[in-house]
Amino acid sequence: METAIALDRATKRFGERTAVDALTLEIPRGATVALLGANGAGKSTTVGLLMGLHTPDAGRVTVAGLAPRTAVVQGRIAAMLQDCGLMPGVTAAEVVGLCRRMYPAPLRVEEALELAGLRELAHRRVDRMSGGQAQRLKFALVAVAGADTMLLDEPTRALDVQGRREFWAAMRNCAASGRTILFATHYLDEVEENADRVVVVARGRIVADGTPAQIREAGGKSVVRFRLPAPSMSQLPELPGRLTVEHGWATVRTADPDTVVRLLARSDAAWSDLRVAPPSLDDSFLALTGPTSPAPFEEARV
Amino acid sequence: MTLHLFRLECLRMLRDPRYLALAVVAPIGFYLLFASLFGGKPTQPGELPGTVEIMVAMAAYGAIWGALSSTGPRIAHERSSGWLEQLRAMPVTGRQLLTAKIAAGLAVALPALVLVCVTAVAVKGVRLDAWQWCVLIPAMWLGSLPFALMGVALGFAVGPEAAFPLSYALYMAGSALGGLWVPPAQLSAGLRSVAHALPTNRLADVGWQIVGGHAPTVADVAVLAAWSVGFAGLAVLAYRPGKAGRRARADEASPVAAG
Repeated sequence: METAIALDRATKRFGERTAVDALTLEIPRGATVALLGANGAGKSTTVGLLMGLHTPDAGRVTVAGLAPRTAVVQGRIAAMLQDCGLMPGVTAAEVVGLCRRMYPAPLRVEEALELAGLRELAHRRVDRMSGGQAQRLKFALVAVAGADTMLLDEPTRALDVQGRREFWAAMRNCAASGRTILFATHYLDEVEENADRVVVVARGRIVADGTPAQIREAGGKSVVRFRLPAPSMSQLPELPGRLTVEHGWATVRTADPDTVVRLLARSDAAWSDLRVAPPSLDDSFLALTGPTSPAPFEEARV
Repeated sequence: MTLHLFRLECLRMLRDPRYLALAVVAPIGFYLLFASLFGGKPTQPGELPGTVEIMVAMAAYGAIWGALSSTGPRIAHERSSGWLEQLRAMPVTGRQLLTAKIAAGLAVALPALVLVCVTAVAVKGVRLDAWQWCVLIPAMWLGSLPFALMGVALGFAVGPEAAFPLSYALYMAGSALGGLWVPPAQLSAGLRSVAHALPTNRLADVGWQIVGGHAPTVADVAVLAAWSVGFAGLAVLAYRPGKAGRRARADEASPVAAG
């Protein structure tokens, strides 16, 4: 499959600090990929490298096989940067019309506004839009470029729940049209619903790369909980995982919930109210990116 | 693209009530006030009638603010709002952006300039030869260039909170010292030499020479050109193509746990 984005051992340092550390990543055309990481993990710098805003200190970055800035000028890639703003004092249609003229093969203004769900607000002044509307307008500015690759750097930051829902609906419209989309986020719930691949970064390196479900399994532990009267404590068999008992509830964090349940079923302990929860994405994320995790790229790859 | 950006820049100025109030309505109001107070005096041979002299001063006063306010405070604001950052991620060069900004600064100086003259003609009965009008307006318009360049330099040099008050303070000080309020002839010798070095005074003098039937002096042109070059140089020094580098560094230097 054709490659939309490729970073080959790309490194970017700012003074003493290495923001992106020999990062290698290839994204095929048409994929929707989440770049997941805490603040400071190197997400924005990666986006900057792909847009030609930063020059890598080492390694290679290409977009559609081209140098990033060339790809930007040719309209092959467009980005919604973090903290980007809008031109005040003009209407939505006017500013989208401006951006449209910068690109060789743009969408029509109405198409871009439609994708962003802003058709009714075409003639609203930019400075009179709500946070969610403004954010979708920024998305329209990227969509109108007609670029086959779109980068979105924390596009839903500072949006409320409703605003986020509307935003992702607009994004999925675009993804459905076969574009390559790479979005950076630190909201885990957004990843599950909107990406088919998750690349987890920490300290400028990739610590995990897989589907949302795989990432969930990679770092986290399942949780087995059950009610346990105090006298039954002694009858509990040896369980794999870490056991804690609190307020009459026993909690086992384990990588092997099946065995825990089998052992419990065979035991004579008077447990009740058994429940098993899959690893939470939050836990996996913290396990993968946390300072205690060894997390070399190869080992965590799933 | 540059043309479209220019068009939008003009459009948003014309929609801005603050621009209309300060760059268009205020000079016209001041013209009517001063021309009524001081315009009726009998004139010596070789002296300009008050209504004409003040027309030129207030036309300059309006044009200067038009050029300065549409560049300085706006650029500073767009830098902080992230609009310039967004443009940086698009196929726009810094040159295209600055061309559009400076051209828009000049364009919105024009209504300020013309409307003061129209008021003078309509209300105070000012009459000039046709050639004088034909030279006066373009000459003073072009003379607003140093102020547009000053705005660009200022917009990139200072933050959004400081840009408007600083622009306005420089504008007022330059107008007062440049003899737009009080004719330079009435200033003390020391202040007069200061006035003659200022672009505000030289812009007005271009107009005063033309309405007096003369060509603008070499000194007028030289001083305006020198300020233009100076401000253009400052603008180049202050120009920062974006805040991405700085922002990314500040942001990523302080890692915090995912929320």
